[in-house]
Amino acid sequence: MAKEVVHEFTLDTLGWDPYVTPVDLDSATPQQLEALKVTPSNRKISAYVLVLAQEAEALAERTPLFNDIMYSEGGLSRGGRELGALAASIVNRCVYCASVHANRFIANDKLPEIIEEIYARGVKADLPEKYQAIFDFGVELTANPDKVGVYQFYHLREVGLSDLEILDLIHAVAIFGWANRLMHTLGEPVRGG
Amino acid sequence: MANDVIDEVLGLSQGSDLFRLRVQRAELKHRTQTSYQAALKPSDPRNLSYAMRAALAARMARLWNSRELAEHYDQLLGQEAPDGVESAISDPKLRPEGLTARLEAIIRHVDLVTLRPKDATRADIERLYAAGLDDRDIVTLANLIALVNYQILVTAGLRMLRDN
Repeated sequence: MAKEVVHEFTLDTLGWDPYVTPVDLDSATPQQLEALKVTPSNRKISAYVLVLAQEAEALAERTPLFNDIMYSEGGLSRGGRELGALAASIVNRCVYCASVHANRFIANDKLPEIIEEIYARGVKADLPEKYQAIFDFGVELTANPDKVGVYQFYHLREVGLSDLEILDLIHAVAIFGWANRLMHTLGEPVRGG
Repeated sequence: MANDVIDEVLGLSQGSDLFRLRVQRAELKHRTQTSYQAALKPSDPRNLSYAMRAALAARMARLWNSRELAEHYDQLLGQEAPDGVESAISDPKLRPEGLTARLEAIIRHVDLVTLRPKDATRADIERLYAAGLDDRDIVTLANLIALVNYQILVTAGLRMLRDN
């Protein structure tokens, strides 16, 4: 099957083809191998991470930052963080990121209808109260970071989010402001091939 | 260089509620700072000087009206002994003439990916190659744009927590 570039949001598992040459593992520097956490038993590294390994010093910091934001103990639920990531990816139209994090949201919260609504109506999705507050905040912080203030804060408080949960949400959205700007600009999502 | 840029630009003192909240996510806070260091002051700046990185960061902060970060990056730029070109591109309201094609392409890409990342396509990366950037230069630039935009969003969100 020929590869096809994907432009619409989907739950399908996608591939990603870079526009920029990835690092070749056989000629990678020791610093790149360290940042990639390459070991003899782990040489399966995605094209995306191999592109980022062009800047090994940055990648070595970014990987633990990303993991802590998405998976740290306590605070905002896993599903809440995935929904924040998805909101950013919808605004920034990172189709690949959206597919991954929509699927993770469904795996966690078992609510595929939330994703159906978001995929159908985008930033205007009509969701149950708590999901609405989290999604709207992700959309607003991504699209208008200079407009976030008292209104957004009270919306999150009204649905019961604690300070720590709000802190986690801010970072889940912000790290996708980062990830979308890499993944959507340095390559494209593909199906098949 | 500052201990923690976000604490500094938001004026968070050690005893404040928001400072203590951030400390609850110590790894995240630490890696946010080290990521900043890696993007703005890497051990080998290669084809994008420290002054140029600071100037582009100040420009991005201004594009999103992040006054605190724009001030911070202006100061950082000042420490790097900028030439006139760098100072001129640090503010998107200025329209300096006679820039090199390479710098024109870099600025265009910074503005696009900061404000409208959804509109970026393969053709935008091809423009960078055509202007003489190599693979690593393009990833360097993408990383810088991504890090500064992350910082802009974090600062905006934390400002909301600080003030409410």
